[in-house]
Amino acid sequence: MEKVFQSIGRAFELVTIENMDSVNQITWRIGKVDLVINVTTIIMTWIVMIIIILFSYLGVRKLKKYPGKVQALVELIIDGLDKLIKDTMGEVGRKYLPLIATLFFFVAFSNWLGVIPLLKSPTGDLNTTLGLGILVFLIVQGSGIATKGLFSYLKGFLEPLVIAPLAVVINLAGEFGKTVSHSFRLFGNILGGGLIIIVLSDLFKYLLIPPVLHAFFGLFIGAVQAFVFGMLALVYITVGRGE
Amino acid sequence: MEIVAGCEWILALGLLAAGFCMGIGAWGPAIGEGNVASKAVEGIARQPESATVLTRTMLIGQAVTESTGIYSLVIAFLILNFIGRFIIK
Repeated sequence: MEKVFQSIGRAFELVTIENMDSVNQITWRIGKVDLVINVTTIIMTWIVMIIIILFSYLGVRKLKKYPGKVQALVELIIDGLDKLIKDTMGEVGRKYLPLIATLFFFVAFSNWLGVIPLLKSPTGDLNTTLGLGILVFLIVQGSGIATKGLFSYLKGFLEPLVIAPLAVVINLAGEFGKTVSHSFRLFGNILGGGLIIIVLSDLFKYLLIPPVLHAFFGLFIGAVQAFVFGMLALVYITVGRGE
Repeated sequence: MEIVAGCEWILALGLLAAGFCMGIGAWGPAIGEGNVASKAVEGIARQPESATVLTRTMLIGQAVTESTGIYSLVIAFLILNFIGRFIIK
């Protein structure tokens, strides 16, 4: 019994100390404002970007009619996403393919990066996911204004017109709530998965369990969350365009 | 691991609160996601050719249902983080 308590205490230490206080932080003082920079997240984000660039470059370096392995993989993913977007939005949606595909690739590779020892998922940091969420928010509002025109876009916030003053508050809260839940969902899933991996691995003395946990939480949940992130961005854009 | 003097009750109640937050908070999403999955399985059993579309819609629906559970996870983290920073030295 004593040992169980000890190992729970150790797991608690692991969770709170190693993960909650981001290890590498630089504080930058500009005037009266403190800018805190998470060095680990930035380095990991750059690694993800290099991986994506390499992957895309290798995929399309020599385009052939009968594709090689990497080209076939890239074609498979892009083709699937293209078909999916066409199903959801129709032919006009194809101009959003680069955005959705980039979001998908970035989030997927970020989630999978956590599987490699010593590397951390950049999506396990709220700053990254909130940044992506705000990006999607701005695009949704922008495309709403572009398709409906400014006047009818603003009028959309007043509906239903019978309770216009109340409807404004509800619509605005819904709009911000979408962004918050969009980014917190990714963050919570990745961070929670990572913590469960650490705690359970420690309880089992790193015996047999870690690979299974990494396969489930890292690879499977990571892929599902990346897909969901891209799809939700697509759905939000479709709703924002009002079609 | 040392506890700041006079904070034993805060530590105990905080740990209990984090546990309850996650336990009760996971209840609703679990039932909701189970409902979504069962309906999707029914749909696939009735129309096997629509399996891909149904699976996609099911995943998105489950992800949206899950967000309340994620909120309680974030709150539990905040409580643990508070304890780790201010109560345990």
